[in-house]
Amino acid sequence: MSIASSSPEKESSGGAQLQCPSSPPGLDPDPSSTGSPILSPDSSSHDAVLSAPAASPADSENLSPDELELLAKLEEQNRLLEADSKSMRSMSGSRRNSGSSLVSSSSASSNLSHLEEDTWILWGRIVNEWEEWRRKKDKLLKELIRKGIPHHFRAIVWQLLGNATDMPVKNQYSELLKMSSPCEKLIRRDIARTYPEHEFFKGQDSLGQEVLFNVMKAYSLVDREVGYCQGSAFIVGLLLMQMPEEEAFCVFVRLMQEYRLRELFKPSMAELGLCIYQFEYLLQEQLPELNVHFRSQSFHTSMYASSWFLTLFLTFLPLPVATRIFDIFMYEGLEIIFRVGLAILQYNQTDLIQLDMEGMSQHFQKVIPHQFDSCPDKLILRAYQVKYNPKRMKKLEKEYTTIKNKEMEEQIEIKRLRTENRLLKQRIETLEKGQVTRAQEAEENYVIKRELAVVRQQCSAASESLEKAQDTIRELQQHQYTEQFVSNLQTQLEQSRLHEAELLGALKEMQDKVLDLEKRSSCLPDENNMAALQDEVKQMKLKELEMLRSFREMQDSVTDLNQRWQHHMSRSGSTGGGGGHWKESPKKNAMNELQDKLMTVRLREAQAQAELREVKLKALQLESQNQIHSKLIGRNEQERSALQDRLQMMANQNKALQAQLSEMKRKQAESDCKSKEEVMAVRLREADSMTVMAELRQKIAELEIQKEEGRIKGQLNHSDSRQYITQLRDQIAELKNEVRQLRGQKAAPGGGGNYDLCLTSPASAEGDFLSSDDDLLPSPLPTTGLYPALTGSCHPPAHLDSEGSTDSEAEERAQTHPDAPQLYGGMVCAEALDN
Amino acid sequence: METIWLYQFRLIVIGDSTVGKSCLIRRFTEGRFAQVSDPTVGVDFFSRLVEIEPGKRIKLQIWDTAGQERFRSITRAYYRNSVGGLLLFDITNRRSFQNVHNWLEEARSHVQPHSIVFLLVGHKCDLEAQRQVTQHEAEKLAGAYGMRYVETSARDAINVEKAFVDLTREIFELVRDGDIKIQDGWEGVKSGFVPNTVHSSEEVTKGSRQCFC
Repeated sequence: MSIASSSPEKESSGGAQLQCPSSPPGLDPDPSSTGSPILSPDSSSHDAVLSAPAASPADSENLSPDELELLAKLEEQNRLLEADSKSMRSMSGSRRNSGSSLVSSSSASSNLSHLEEDTWILWGRIVNEWEEWRRKKDKLLKELIRKGIPHHFRAIVWQLLGNATDMPVKNQYSELLKMSSPCEKLIRRDIARTYPEHEFFKGQDSLGQEVLFNVMKAYSLVDREVGYCQGSAFIVGLLLMQMPEEEAFCVFVRLMQEYRLRELFKPSMAELGLCIYQFEYLLQEQLPELNVHFRSQSFHTSMYASSWFLTLFLTFLPLPVATRIFDIFMYEGLEIIFRVGLAILQYNQTDLIQLDMEGMSQHFQKVIPHQFDSCPDKLILRAYQVKYNPKRMKKLEKEYTTIKNKEMEEQIEIKRLRTENRLLKQRIETLEKGQVTRAQEAEENYVIKRELAVVRQQCSAASESLEKAQDTIRELQQHQYTEQFVSNLQTQLEQSRLHEAELLGALKEMQDKVLDLEKRSSCLPDENNMAALQDEVKQMKLKELEMLRSFREMQDSVTDLNQRWQHHMSRSGSTGGGGGHWKESPKKNAMNELQDKLMTVRLREAQAQAELREVKLKALQLESQNQIHSKLIGRNEQERSALQDRLQMMANQNKALQAQLSEMKRKQAESDCKSKEEVMAVRLREADSMTVMAELRQKIAELEIQKEEGRIKGQLNHSDSRQYITQLRDQIAELKNEVRQLRGQKAAPGGGGNYDLCLTSPASAEGDFLSSDDDLLPSPLPTTGLYPALTGSCHPPAHLDSEGSTDSEAEERAQTHPDAPQLYGGMVCAEALDN
Repeated sequence: METIWLYQFRLIVIGDSTVGKSCLIRRFTEGRFAQVSDPTVGVDFFSRLVEIEPGKRIKLQIWDTAGQERFRSITRAYYRNSVGGLLLFDITNRRSFQNVHNWLEEARSHVQPHSIVFLLVGHKCDLEAQRQVTQHEAEKLAGAYGMRYVETSARDAINVEKAFVDLTREIFELVRDGDIKIQDGWEGVKSGFVPNTVHSSEEVTKGSRQCFC
């Protein structure tokens, strides 16, 4: 029961946090504001029903199945009654209410309806004995949840339903908040758009927005695959309206893991496709007419249903209604979404069938969301009347996955075929291009070959006829008689041979050219080349024609020769006795042969000479090349040497610079040393001067002390001098008395002695004063000693201006003693000295 | 009673999340601007009549799509039956501009065998101070893809009307010239009732009043 013991704290903390957000009228109005009279008919009925489990808490645990059934029946009745009283509570979405009413109810429980109290007691028991309820009274619990979880218990009951009370991931939460998520930016942008009208989330930097951001971010870090999906913030927002962020985070993690939400929000969103597929099946099965209408208007299911599944009606229906659905969702899962969705469509079927696309869209946006504001129970009741077969749904899931797999395969196949197709097209294009050029080439080649064959035929024909001609010439030569005639024939023969050689040369050249052209045509089947080749072929033909002409000429000459020969023969026949001629003929034959040989030798010589020249030319060329190369080498050599020189120079410079550098370094080190030394010296001096300063200070202090002493002494001296003055006065007075006494005696020589005494007395007195102060005090007579004290007391120093007094005394004395000023001068001197 | 229109065009509005697709459509269809609106989860639907020439009215059905990438599995089903599209990016968000290419690829790969006439829209042009995409480069990109470019602001109602009407006119011309053909089983373009000349003036006033309500 550790869960139960911890629950009240969580509950209270959640409640405290949510007192503010739950207060706006749209969400969860306080029933006390609607007034108890309005609630009373409803509450009394509830009372009757709910008091049964609440009034007998001890028995409720041991309820027999019959009793449970009875309870369920009562609940059913209650629901019907509630449906009737829906108008009374038109404003309230959830029947239970907010923290503020908890406070008021506890303070004034008399105002609180019994129903409320009973429900709380019942739910308190449920929460406390959760495990047992789940095990033994699950059916009843289900019924109670369908009736709506009291607002205050939602936080804990959702946590319990989601099994999210004790999750290890909770401990990570604070750590996760410190991390940064890749989805942060997107989350931040959507936060302000989540429940923007709700008090808790209103305004930038509101608590609601902050905690919502925290939870979304934390989740995106925990589940990197899903990250953040638009729509999920509404679910988290609802959780945050009920409980603190850490608890909301845990519940959300559970929802994602255990309630198919994770699959819904995954990047592929395959689960959403499945849900829509399943929903379409249900639609087709249960509302076939509407389905047909939707199809005819091409009103896709995904248009309205995707938000139903992704936000669990939180963005579609007003919060109080959606929260009721969420209660059930927490217990039963996505099934309720199918049920509610179908219930909504069923409820609106007649309206929707009459509308076109725009109308339906408007109906979905404006009318449907507020149809059940006043009676969420009616919607839930209808939802449970919808037929829902989990087995069938499983089957559909399998179907869907096979369809999807097939689609995927098909798509992959299509993609593969597309790329293949593209590649083939490319190949065809290139091949087509290549084919065209090749066909052209082949055609040109064929034309050239044909021409070549013709030329060759002609050539062979010509050479054949040439041979025949040669044969006839030889025959003719054998029958020659006269030297002149023979020589004539010889020259003719030579000419014809030369001609032949020329022809052969020309033929060879032509053949070469033909070959060359063939080559060129095969490698460069260009129009220009073709034209050139054709030109050449034409020229060749021309040459051929020329050749033929010359051949004909030769034939003519041969025939001419033949004629002549016959003529000659006839002539020789007529002359008769050709024996002499016959004798001569072997000689002539030999000569002819020799001449032939000579000719061939000469030809060879000429050839050799030509070759020699060629070789010489080549040698010359090679020599010149050699020279060029040697020059090049020479230049390279020069460059190399120059470079080497430069290198050496550079090396030298480098050395010099290095030397300089080392010098500089050394100098620097020296100067460093010096500066260090100087610094040290300065420091030493400083230290010295410090000591001197200290000494001087001490001296000053001493001097000050001395000065002080001196001043004190001076003060003392001052008083001493006064004493001294008084003493002097006393002395003066004594002296006066003596003088008077002496005057009374009236001795004339005594006057001079008196004068001396007057002069000496101050000096002696001064000497006494300087020698010691102490001597002065005891030395005077007791009477005179008394006198200065008396005068001191009678004439305080402040009143007694020493000069003034001396002046008056001096005047007095001057009147009495004309020699007194002298004495007075001495006194003033002593005084000045003292000061 | 159904308002008389010459054609019905289906348009799709795409672009990154939070570029302001829903706000732009709401401004166009409802004439108002909401500071905050729910993120679109899936696909929303809107419609409005547009008069491109006196007496020639086109009904626009506009599909508003979710911007987050993972919603594409839902939204891609809507490309096929669209004849035109507004491709939005946020001029204060460079990333959304860089993603324009991806959106086009996505649309073009799912629209086959049909094609979509796109208009590139730089949205939130009232936030000039935070601009991250210059008009010049956006125009250049639009030119490269053979699109037109317009800068709009739903908040200050700048060019909103123009963006939709221009696109509608472009599609209308293509339909009129036969470059786009009405086909069975394709809902991109549907032809409507040709207004009777006798009633047309009456209908015009009625239609225009509905537009700006």
